[in-house]
Amino acid sequence: MLSLDFLAGFTIFMLALIMVVSMVPGLLAGLESSGIDYDAVAYRTGVILVEDPGWPAYPPWELYGEAQKDEIQRMGLAVSKETPNILLSTKVERFFEKSPSGEPFFTPDDYRKRVIFGDIPYSYNFSLNISNPDGSYEPKQAGDPLPPGYGYIRRVVKIKEPGVAEIGSNVAYQTETPQNPQNFTVRLNFSDLLGPERGPAYRIDPRTEPVNVTITNFDAYLNKTEPAAESATLKDVTFWKMDPTRPNPRFTRIPFSYDTVNSNLYTLYVNGTSDLHSLQPDVPVKSSISLVLKPAATSLFTLDQNSILDIRFNFENDPPQTNITGTHLYDYVNVTHPPLKTAVLEVAIW
Amino acid sequence: MVNDAGQLYTMEGVAAGIIMLLTAYIVVSTTSVYTTGDTHIPDMQLEQLGSDVLAMMDTPDTNGMKSALEIFVNTGNSTDFNNTFLSCCNATTSGKPDNLHMSANVTYRDANTNVITEHLFVAPDNTWTGRESAVRVTRWVQLPSGSPNYGSRAQVVLVEVLLWRA
Repeated sequence: MLSLDFLAGFTIFMLALIMVVSMVPGLLAGLESSGIDYDAVAYRTGVILVEDPGWPAYPPWELYGEAQKDEIQRMGLAVSKETPNILLSTKVERFFEKSPSGEPFFTPDDYRKRVIFGDIPYSYNFSLNISNPDGSYEPKQAGDPLPPGYGYIRRVVKIKEPGVAEIGSNVAYQTETPQNPQNFTVRLNFSDLLGPERGPAYRIDPRTEPVNVTITNFDAYLNKTEPAAESATLKDVTFWKMDPTRPNPRFTRIPFSYDTVNSNLYTLYVNGTSDLHSLQPDVPVKSSISLVLKPAATSLFTLDQNSILDIRFNFENDPPQTNITGTHLYDYVNVTHPPLKTAVLEVAIW
Repeated sequence: MVNDAGQLYTMEGVAAGIIMLLTAYIVVSTTSVYTTGDTHIPDMQLEQLGSDVLAMMDTPDTNGMKSALEIFVNTGNSTDFNNTFLSCCNATTSGKPDNLHMSANVTYRDANTNVITEHLFVAPDNTWTGRESAVRVTRWVQLPSGSPNYGSRAQVVLVEVLLWRA
């Protein structure tokens, strides 16, 4: 017969053993809990977004369309790697871009492969809230609604936005003897724009940001000699590049699809209406011209740090209807650069 | 004569002991124990946020201008420093703002005595009890010469911010 003392002792021993065995995984719980993992992934994702400009750098990843999307290695939003926490608005817009129907440009798989990284298919929620100087907010968001228990990081950033060259009425751009055709040029001298005296956070870089040229008060440039002109015909807008190997004038016309409307490359509005025009609009201009040349177009022009790019507005009328002439420099004096905007970026991972 | 009665009492005692032990074990194991491994995460998040805010306050909005941080420290404008810092820290992208509080010190060279001195720049508000798990973020700020509060010579002062969640 089994002794009761032995039975009691054995039971206590077995129970103690079971307790010890079941406590061993608990000892490591603090090091392996998934909450810590999510926080670390959120932190890493936040660092990539706010401290890295992404890869490829030139041409930058945000110019890659639907077809070349797979060539993007990493989506960072910073202006440059020297300027952490200062984000470029064109990168931000591409990152959060949604089609008019609400479909995001980047799929969940793109976000996982190019910004979150890691073997596990994490769920995510990126949100950015830009505060405008007038007190309004501009929220942007990508990802799913937040469940309880997600990893989280919040970063405070600044947003760099592109400048605008606004050309009002200016006697320096008016000629006494207008000809047919009449040309007006906006010149971008890259060695001036990209000079080292300005930090990347305050630089005008047409290779990464849109170039915005707006001629307001165009009526001031209309030919006033009798009979007074009511409008002038904008025949075309062309791009010219300085070629140092050629004799004067050293500018050559850049081959480009001037006759097709493509709002991914440029937008041209005339007289304040919302009609998109091609670069050969052949329309009468009464009040204003607004041209936005997107970096996707400038990247096709193969420009480097010493290039000079001319945007030439060509008006054709017989007799001449406009007296606009001369060259307007797209530089730090003539371009109004908006101040950096403060924003908050939140990354949640689960 | 020894009978079985004693053994039965022992068995009851042992059974009761086991039940007590089991209960105690279940109770202890169901409470989540906040291990030291977890505590650095909120600290890290808070520290990152604080140093982001100081760095962004030290970034001028337009080229060639003075940064807000430099102006606030140089002119001794603790109210605006406090408001700007906390509005950046507590801002969220949606929902209600965070509940962070701060105090700040500036360490500088006293122009008269030429001794490194520290002064309270922003006093802690009434949420400060001394038991908060606060984090400290710092930033060196270059002040120009002729500062109204820090003497005529140009100098670099250390701004230390203590940040906690109430």
